Amino acid sequence: MELGIFTIGDVTTDPTNGTTVSENQRIKNTVEIAKKAEEVGLDVFATGQHHNPPFVAPANPPVLLSHIAAQTEKLHLSTATTLITTTDPVRIAEDYAYAQHLSDGRISLVMGRGNTGPVYPWFGKDIRSGIPLAVENYNLLYRLWREKNLDWEGKFRTPLNGFTVTPTPLDDVPPFVWHGSIRSPEIAEQAAYYGDGYFHNNIFWPMSHTARMVQLYRQRYEYYGHGAANQAIVGLGGQVFMRKNSQDAVNEFRPYFDNAPVYGHGPSLEDFSTQTPLTVGSPQQVIERTLSFRDWAGDYQRQLFLIDHAGLPQKTVLEQLDLLGEEVVPVLRKEFAKNRPADVPDAPTHESLVIRHREGRDPIPGGGPGSRAYADRQAKAAEQKDTQGADR
Amino acid sequence: MRILSITTSLSEDSTTLKLANKITAAATSAADDAGLSPETDHVNVRNLSSDLTDMALTGFCSENLEAAFAHVAESDVIVTVAPVYKVAPVGLHTLFWQLIDEKALANKPVLIGSTGGTPRHSMAGETVLRPMLSYLKGIVVPTTVFAATDDWGSVEGGRSLNARIAQASEELIGLAASLGGVAAAPHAGAEASSASTGEFGRPGARRNPSIDDEFNPEFITPFSQLLEG
Repeated sequence: MELGIFTIGDVTTDPTNGTTVSENQRIKNTVEIAKKAEEVGLDVFATGQHHNPPFVAPANPPVLLSHIAAQTEKLHLSTATTLITTTDPVRIAEDYAYAQHLSDGRISLVMGRGNTGPVYPWFGKDIRSGIPLAVENYNLLYRLWREKNLDWEGKFRTPLNGFTVTPTPLDDVPPFVWHGSIRSPEIAEQAAYYGDGYFHNNIFWPMSHTARMVQLYRQRYEYYGHGAANQAIVGLGGQVFMRKNSQDAVNEFRPYFDNAPVYGHGPSLEDFSTQTPLTVGSPQQVIERTLSFRDWAGDYQRQLFLIDHAGLPQKTVLEQLDLLGEEVVPVLRKEFAKNRPADVPDAPTHESLVIRHREGRDPIPGGGPGSRAYADRQAKAAEQKDTQGADR
Repeated sequence: MRILSITTSLSEDSTTLKLANKITAAATSAADDAGLSPETDHVNVRNLSSDLTDMALTGFCSENLEAAFAHVAESDVIVTVAPVYKVAPVGLHTLFWQLIDEKALANKPVLIGSTGGTPRHSMAGETVLRPMLSYLKGIVVPTTVFAATDDWGSVEGGRSLNARIAQASEELIGLAASLGGVAAAPHAGAEASSASTGEFGRPGARRNPSIDDEFNPEFITPFSQLLEG
């Protein structure tokens, strides 16, 4: 189980005093947060990708992740979104492979489509093709990381002829990929097809819905023969704010909640806390709520918390990290390990992926022999053959 | 047959609620006459007011609101009644229909009712709500029911209101019956869901795909098809 934090890099005015940090300060704060995450014993720091204010999450996340990699030892560095729709897959393949080398394999990616319509045309794309772009671009990225002298032709980018990514991935093992989506079944299906991970940001949606997406991914993962449903690789987000005394947490967080981008001036903190995974309270409450995710998601591999948004002061964010590191994460680690079946895999690491690769156990996209998907394909092909025979 | 009234009744004993009850009763009796075993239910949009504004602001659909939307999906015919403010049904009411899934009303007969102070508001249902409900693929019956203060206050008015209600209800139930597949028995649910198994859009699949179907491994588009584009 990997435990960590993810950020969207929003530059938001602190509603309690009207101050807004500069972009420069927010960027430096982000680096400080990542370093602190390692210091307090978290496993993962993840960043979004953004091209529009009020966000300073990097347009090219490997820039930030490599910078942090140079200043940390063990921390896993991930994206919370890599925009697979509007970013050229060739650049994703090259930039992240480069960062993977620099970080000695500490890089992973969460693929996302992005939901801001105007961003797409800036990169010559159209949001209405969001799903087809995610499908074609990822398929290209997948091949770029595994094939040399690639010949490729698709709908959305100029063809490639004899192309080889430089650098090729470290130890010939690409960074681990999660596919993130709040409510598109196609993306859960995509993750299952490739045997990749599935990540749900778990912030704006009722948990009953999130559970359905996770369930779909797990069932299809099994269908494609990558393992049993309970062995699929699931990641969840979540949102917390803590103080030792839970009422202090509520009082302090309320103005930030009430004015937050996206959900501010809408539902009450109390309603939103009931209906979504947001937890504002004591470390013990955060522990209990987070452990309850397992009841509907099954044993999972990655848990990321959002802690640095809505204009919260840097000092407060660092205090949240102290609480996570001292009181929450050690208990979560222990409790999540309890009753976890031995056949449920840990979160993939570069080391585990290298072993899997060398043992010839890499997932076969669409399912290899022995999978139900494979059997269905064979049956369908036989059926078509029969029909053709009958036609003659 | 499930008859659902979606009504925005702003006070407890409003004329809007009265009108909704009258229409529902007339529709029930018409369905009885047609041997369609009616069951009725009622949603007051007033109780969803903060859920609706929250969803408009955040895109987040609360459990209550989701239950109401699911209720619409499960019903066979819809009666919708709202008070008219400034020549349009009150915004809370239109917000409900503006936030529900597209095609939420596919193949469902719908009856529009409105209330207002004076007959000058009588076209509000026609001009505002009818296109909106048609956009949601509802089949809106030709007669709409508008009740002004006059209709409640005089014997004549009452008679003509009742006549309009009877006319609209018969259109509603007649349409439902002719659309076929409307369940005459309580087993309707089971029948409808077995009829919709298989792929979406298959002929004969009457019910809209629900959110459960959307995440059902049997219904999703296999990735190989997505890859082929």
